[in-house]
Amino acid sequence: MIDSQLLVSGFVFGLSMGSIFFLMTIGLSLCFGVMRVISLDQLLYYTVGAYITYTLSLVTGSLWIGLLGGIAVGGLAALAVERLVFRRIYEREIAFSMITSFGILIGGVGVVKYFWGLVPRPVAIPIDAQIFVLGTEIPVYRLVVVGIAGLVYAGIWLFLNKTIVGKAIRAGIENVEHVEGLGINVSRLFTLIFIIAGALSGLAGGLHAPLIMVEPQMGLEVLAFAFMVVIIGGLGSIKGTLVSSFLVGQVVSIGSLIYAPLAQMAPFAIMLLILLVWPTGLFGSPMLKK
Amino acid sequence: MSLVRWWSGLVLAFALLAVLRIYLPLPFAIEIIIFSIYTLGCSFLLGRVGFISFGQPAYLAIGAYATAFYLFYFGNNPYIGILIGVAAGIVGSFLIGPLLVRLRGDYFALVNLALAVIIYYLMQKVLADITHGDNGLWYLTNMSSTPVLDLTRPDQFFIFAFVVAFAIWAFFKYLDDTIYGACCLAVKVNEDKLRFLGYDNFKVRLTAFVIANTTTALAGALYAVYLGFVSPEITSPARAADPVVVTILGGAGTLYGPIVGAIVYTGMKDVVSKVIGNWELIVGFTLVFIMLAGEKGIWGSLEPRLDRLMARVTGKRSDEVGQ
Repeated sequence: MIDSQLLVSGFVFGLSMGSIFFLMTIGLSLCFGVMRVISLDQLLYYTVGAYITYTLSLVTGSLWIGLLGGIAVGGLAALAVERLVFRRIYEREIAFSMITSFGILIGGVGVVKYFWGLVPRPVAIPIDAQIFVLGTEIPVYRLVVVGIAGLVYAGIWLFLNKTIVGKAIRAGIENVEHVEGLGINVSRLFTLIFIIAGALSGLAGGLHAPLIMVEPQMGLEVLAFAFMVVIIGGLGSIKGTLVSSFLVGQVVSIGSLIYAPLAQMAPFAIMLLILLVWPTGLFGSPMLKK
Repeated sequence: MSLVRWWSGLVLAFALLAVLRIYLPLPFAIEIIIFSIYTLGCSFLLGRVGFISFGQPAYLAIGAYATAFYLFYFGNNPYIGILIGVAAGIVGSFLIGPLLVRLRGDYFALVNLALAVIIYYLMQKVLADITHGDNGLWYLTNMSSTPVLDLTRPDQFFIFAFVVAFAIWAFFKYLDDTIYGACCLAVKVNEDKLRFLGYDNFKVRLTAFVIANTTTALAGALYAVYLGFVSPEITSPARAADPVVVTILGGAGTLYGPIVGAIVYTGMKDVVSKVIGNWELIVGFTLVFIMLAGEKGIWGSLEPRLDRLMARVTGKRSDEVGQ
């Protein structure tokens, strides 16, 4: 049996991992929910966010400034891509957006390689402190990551439920044509969602940077996990994304305690099981685009 | 007469390929042949059945590793190795297929890519005792020479691969003419209507899935015999887009698109990596550009023009050059 100290630290590890997954995939989920596109380029903003955080924290000495930079650049990159590419493909079928955004992701990785090179870069953890929880040492930074994810979820919840723009977005997830019919500028709404999604992906990359090595392929490495999270939760559901990202985080973390290779295999097995029962994920809507 | 017409397009295409062989270095020519077979499965799924498959490397790995296991642990005849690779492809896609083909298009694409990544980890870490992890399996010296066509010699391997490719293209061309081929297209265009006509959607999709992925597994088996080693690298997530890029580049669903795509892609890769060494940049933006430019691909936009040209030259022989 695993001893309880390992279990506690594994649980916290899983929580922080789930938080990163949540921040990373909420963009994918929002974009699918409202625009019905699969935006794989979110993983590019994740990579770019991590690199900007690396560079800025090296220059200024503070990770938090780096994070702000990562968020800003992630959002700006998303804005540029939306204006240049996605604007032309909203009307197309889903496979189309998937191929195109995969092209952006691969090309973007090439750009990242051009600027920062191939060598993996370490980012210093800003908070070295450890605290004791149930007799186990826990790095404070991981708890901060969980806290930030919680704040973001609360912020998104307030935004979607209390502001008129957020309500328009929620209505857009149900039916975009009706929203347009109400006189809301859908095009501007799409741009806004894209910027939010890109900024959150950038934040995820920046927060993840101190926990792993920053390298050009990092987006492709988490790609499978991002997929599993959105599939288990159901495309387009924010609640589903929240639930499944913490589920996958725990499965990866606790699974690797039991048997190391389980870290990669277990989420996949769970995804297959869930798809057998619910072909559109836990909270996904059964309806199709057209 | 119609028989001659049916074969003439195929023969012309492969005659051109054989001519290319004279001007190109041998490894390049072999790479093109295997890559086109690899892409044909993806092109069939995307252009004919409407499944976008980012998971093709998974089936490539199934074929390659089945062949590699045989050649590394059990035997030394490369022909039997290739047969085992193909058999593994059939069994594998029959096992995976029923779950995947009933998923909606978007979920299919995502699950399939996840599958490729999982097989990567499976081969790299979980089964590391058998697959030797990242080092891969090396068995080049295990393979024995075979009579007639000696697969251990690259020049004779090329002839073998060439004949196999010709047979496969003839098979896919035949498939286009059958009612089953029409059913596949109907699944893509309007699956409700196909159901009204009394066909079983699930069966049509499953068969297409098995055919396409067995083709891919065959390409994997050919790679395994040609290279003499297999490592998890062939199914790495960074290369998952390769078949899709080549499919789009050549023109999805067209018969000769994969060949044109493979020639252009392998050529570009060779030239670009020599000049700037930043390969992803070119692949990614080429993909985006082709998608925005109308997603017809090189062969897809060339084909109607060639048809018209041929019609003008010879009057009635208009449909021979195309499909």
